Amino acid sequence: MEVDSPEQLQRKQSTYLSFDENFEIQKEVYRGQQYSQIYFARLHCMRALLYSLVPNWKSHLPVCTVLGLEEGKECIIVGTLYKHMKLKPCILDEYSKERSVAPLVKPHNFIHQDDYLVLEDESGRVKLGGTVLSPSVYVTGVVIALHGKETSAGAFFVEDVLEAGLPPQIERQLKSREDKYVVFVSGLSIGSSSSNPLLFQLLVDHITGHLGDEEEQGLAAEIVHLVIAGNSVEISRGLLNGQNLASKDQSRLSEPFKELDIQLTQIAASLPLDIMPGSSDPANFSLPQQPLNRCLFPGSATYNTFRSCTNPHCFELDNIRFLGTSGQNIDDLTKYSEAKDKLDFLESTLRWRHLAPTTPNTLGCYPFTDRDPFLIDSCPDVYFVGNQEKYETRLVKGSEGQSVRLICIPRFCETGVAVVVNMRNLECHALTFGMQFSS
Amino acid sequence: MATPPKNIEGFYKQKKSNTSKSKSSNSTKHAAATSGSNIAQPPALVSHGGSLDLEADDFDEEQQVLRQFDMNMEFGPCIGIPRIDRWERARRLGLNPPKEIESILKRGKVKRQSLFGGRT
Repeated sequence: MEVDSPEQLQRKQSTYLSFDENFEIQKEVYRGQQYSQIYFARLHCMRALLYSLVPNWKSHLPVCTVLGLEEGKECIIVGTLYKHMKLKPCILDEYSKERSVAPLVKPHNFIHQDDYLVLEDESGRVKLGGTVLSPSVYVTGVVIALHGKETSAGAFFVEDVLEAGLPPQIERQLKSREDKYVVFVSGLSIGSSSSNPLLFQLLVDHITGHLGDEEEQGLAAEIVHLVIAGNSVEISRGLLNGQNLASKDQSRLSEPFKELDIQLTQIAASLPLDIMPGSSDPANFSLPQQPLNRCLFPGSATYNTFRSCTNPHCFELDNIRFLGTSGQNIDDLTKYSEAKDKLDFLESTLRWRHLAPTTPNTLGCYPFTDRDPFLIDSCPDVYFVGNQEKYETRLVKGSEGQSVRLICIPRFCETGVAVVVNMRNLECHALTFGMQFSS
Repeated sequence: MATPPKNIEGFYKQKKSNTSKSKSSNSTKHAAATSGSNIAQPPALVSHGGSLDLEADDFDEEQQVLRQFDMNMEFGPCIGIPRIDRWERARRLGLNPPKEIESILKRGKVKRQSLFGGRT
């Protein structure tokens, strides 16, 4: 704040509610269960939902289980999709005699034109045929309803598909609001060779109002919240080779955290912030990732504005619901399916009402027994994913008047771009920091 | 082996020291996909006093009811989850599991895990 200005700028505030309880696993006890339990919970919840949607879709057709299929009888079946992928890495390939089939270089994407889909429920599974369902669009773990009939070959010929669609959304009163902004940033990667400390410092200075003239400070005062969506630190691989670290190297291990903590302390002193773990952060590997330990942030954790959150993270600011992840769910979809852009993947997860359908098949997840915490019950207003290549955004409208702002947050260390959302109208723009000026 | 006299099990309780999965439990699993079946062990397979794979007290009615509960696919997979937790989950998901199962399980004298507990 400038000392010589007549009035002090006050930062706007908003009410905060966390919904991360669903993603916390402290109360869970591992009793040797396998993943069949979480698949059952997922199928049960989604099937109940789809059964309720089927009468509005095709009320004249009977609904049956996979075992109850009869040849030639047109019906509707509901189940979990399984995609058989030729190129999917399989542990058994190591023992296969025909080693030449497996490529030496891992492809970026495991799609093959010979991939096929299978629908499965407790009674059985059936191979899916027909051209309506394109295997490249779907992944294992999605629950859908299919209209079709069994062929003489024993496959199910699909004529139509019903996805759950966007979940119901609580109506927000958006009209009588003032401009309040939420800033999203991800992929700070402090400690990596490519991260530039000046860029993050510029971001911190801008948000805390230490940068610019009164007008710019006025804009900064309208920022009410900061969300750091994963991959805040990057620990050099050489330090993690499994051997005991010499004492001189131990300080190198903690340096990225010290640097991050200094920055976060500046931020926390100024506005509320949420930090989520990502794939390169020291949190558990499988989803849902648990909050980063507060011991990592001795300076900033003393502030009550500092919140360490789970990944996925769900919260409400002034009754606007935000939901998002640090990117592992979308990155996994990119590996096992195809879409025009990342926003299409984001939209698909909403339409399938599941944050991470590929868990636990190809993405690690905790073996819950009684619920699937990634099911999306209530449509968020802002749905974000961190650590993507570039900034992209889209407004998606649902069939029942839902309206969601989808955001892909780019990696800050590579792009210098943070994303700002206006809570008044859910409009979104990029905040770019750079050090080079074109002449 | 001559066919055993009736009620030989009533004279003395015999338990096999080691158990192993056998054909009859496989057939139970298969039939359960449709509904649930009455486990009828033909008398010829039962050697004197004991049984090939089932413990003598598995013929107990309570055990039968619990086996039916384990095998019922409506309540999800039974392996790896204690019976009471599976019952609780079924109740929470609105599946209306029979209340008598809860009372049998809470009485405490039955196995915590499903019939496959420790055998898979």
